[in-house]
Amino acid sequence: MKVEVDPHRCQGHTLCAMAAPTLFELSDIDGHATAVDTEVPAELAESAREAHRSCPEQAISVL
Amino acid sequence: MSIDEASVDTDHRTPVYQFDRHAPDYRDRFSEITTEMHSKCPVAWSDTHGGHWVAAGSEAVFTLARSANISNDHDIKGVRRGYKGIMIPTAVRASGVRGGILEMDDPEHREFRAVLNPYLSPAAVKKWVPLIDEVIRACLDEKIETGSIDFIDDMVNIVPAVITLAMLGIPVAKWNVYCEPVHAAMYTPPDSPDVHRVAELHRLMGMDLLASLHEIRENPRPGMVDAVARATIDGETPDDLELLGVLSLLIGGGFDTTTALTSHALEWLSQNPDQREILSAERDTLLDSATEEFLRFYCPSAGDGRTFSADTQLDGVEFKEGERIWLSWAMANRDPELFTDPNEIDLERKGNRHFSFGLGVHRCIGSNLARTMFKRMLLAVLDRMPDYRCDPEGTVHYESIGVIQGMRQLPATFTPGPRLGDGLDETLDRIQKIVDEQGIAAPVTAQK
Repeated sequence: MKVEVDPHRCQGHTLCAMAAPTLFELSDIDGHATAVDTEVPAELAESAREAHRSCPEQAISVL
Repeated sequence: MSIDEASVDTDHRTPVYQFDRHAPDYRDRFSEITTEMHSKCPVAWSDTHGGHWVAAGSEAVFTLARSANISNDHDIKGVRRGYKGIMIPTAVRASGVRGGILEMDDPEHREFRAVLNPYLSPAAVKKWVPLIDEVIRACLDEKIETGSIDFIDDMVNIVPAVITLAMLGIPVAKWNVYCEPVHAAMYTPPDSPDVHRVAELHRLMGMDLLASLHEIRENPRPGMVDAVARATIDGETPDDLELLGVLSLLIGGGFDTTTALTSHALEWLSQNPDQREILSAERDTLLDSATEEFLRFYCPSAGDGRTFSADTQLDGVEFKEGERIWLSWAMANRDPELFTDPNEIDLERKGNRHFSFGLGVHRCIGSNLARTMFKRMLLAVLDRMPDYRCDPEGTVHYESIGVIQGMRQLPATFTPGPRLGDGLDETLDRIQKIVDEQGIAAPVTAQK
C-alpha cells in the first residue's frame, strides 16, 4: 500500500497524525502533513485508511 | 457597492428555506431544522438577515468552503467590492474593524497567517503544556477542598483566556479584562437591547489591546502582538485598526470556543457516567477520538458567512456574484450521508472528518491549542474530581447559539480532595515570570 498527502489540499488539521502517528510528519511551522514514507507497512494499512477517511480536506490518498 | 434591489435578478434563488439561527427557538429546534434541510434542501435561499444562501449538507459545505469563487473579505472602507465578511448579519461591533485574517482573502490572508502559524503550530503549542497544566491545577485547587465548582467561572473561562494572553505577550493578570466582553459578545443575540453595552465592553477591550500594541512596539517582548506589530503585508505596514482586528480575532477565537467545547463535554460526561469511566480508564486510546467527537457534536462555532466572488453553480443551484452564503459547520456535522447515527455521541467514532474548525485555507489557526487545552482540562477533572455531578438546575446554556454554541454556568459537586499547590493569583504571578524569563511566547522558528 502507498500513501500520499496532497500539499495543495492539506490545511494542517492534523487528524492523519492522530490516526497514524508513524506514517505522517507534521511541519513544525504550520502543522501541514507529509507522508514519512510513501510505502505503508502491512500492519499499518488500517491506520492509513483511517487517516484517509478522517481527513477533513480529503487530502490523503491510499493506493 | 450599491445595489438597486428592483434590478436584481432573484428568480434563481430556489429552493427557499427560511432560516434564522438567531431565532429564540433555534437552539431547541436545531436537530429538526437540520434534518429537514438535509432531506429537502441541503442548499437553500433564506430571506432572513438581508437575504442569504444557507449550506447545510456536508458535500455542499465541503465544496463551497474550498471554492475559489468564495470570498471572506470584509471591505470596511468600500475600496474593493463591498463584501461583508463572515458575520450574517454584520455584527454591530464588527462594523468599524475587519475581523482579522478570517475576513481577508489570499494573498493578504496567507501573508498574515504565515506570521502567526509559528506561534500556533502543534510544535509551538506543545511547549505550553506545562503552563497549561499549572493554570488548570491552580483553578481546581481553588475549589478542590470545597466539593463544589462552577466549571465555567472557575476553570474553562480562565484557562483559554490566560494562555491566549500569554501567547500574545499581554500580562496574564489581565485575563479578567478580556474574558467577559468576549463571552458576552458571543451569547448576546444581534437584536438584544444589551448589544450596545456589549459593544461598549468590546470597545474598552479594544482600547487595552491597542495600548498593548503600542507598548510592545516601543518595548518589544515575544508573542503574537509583537509578530503582528512587525508584520509587513504586500511590502507595507498595515494600519493599527487592521492589526487590532487580527488580534481581536485571536482573542475571540481563542476564548469562547474552547470554553464552549469543554463545558459541553463535561456536562455530557456527567450525564453519562458509564462513558466517563470508560473514557478515563481507556484515555490512551480514546482521548483523541472522543475529542473529535465532542468537536463534531457540539461544534462550538456554528458556521461562517462568505460572499460569492463569481457566478457559481452547484448541483443545479445557481449563485450570483455578490450573494451571501452561510456555511453551517454545525449542520454539516450532522449529515447522515457522512456520519452514521449523526445525532449520537460515539466516543470511538471512526472517519470523523468533521467541519468544526472550518475547511480550506481558513482552517481555525488555533485548532492545535484548542485541542490541547480541552484535553488537559478534561483529564485534570477526570483525575481530581472523578465523581463530579453537574447540576442541571444551575446550568445556563447560551440563549442564542447563532454564533457560538456555548454555556454561561455549569455548577457541579464532587467528593472533596486535597490541594496540590498554591492558588490562582500566586500561580499566575509565577507563570508570568516564567513566560518573561524563558521567552516561551517566542515563535517556534526563533528556537531553532
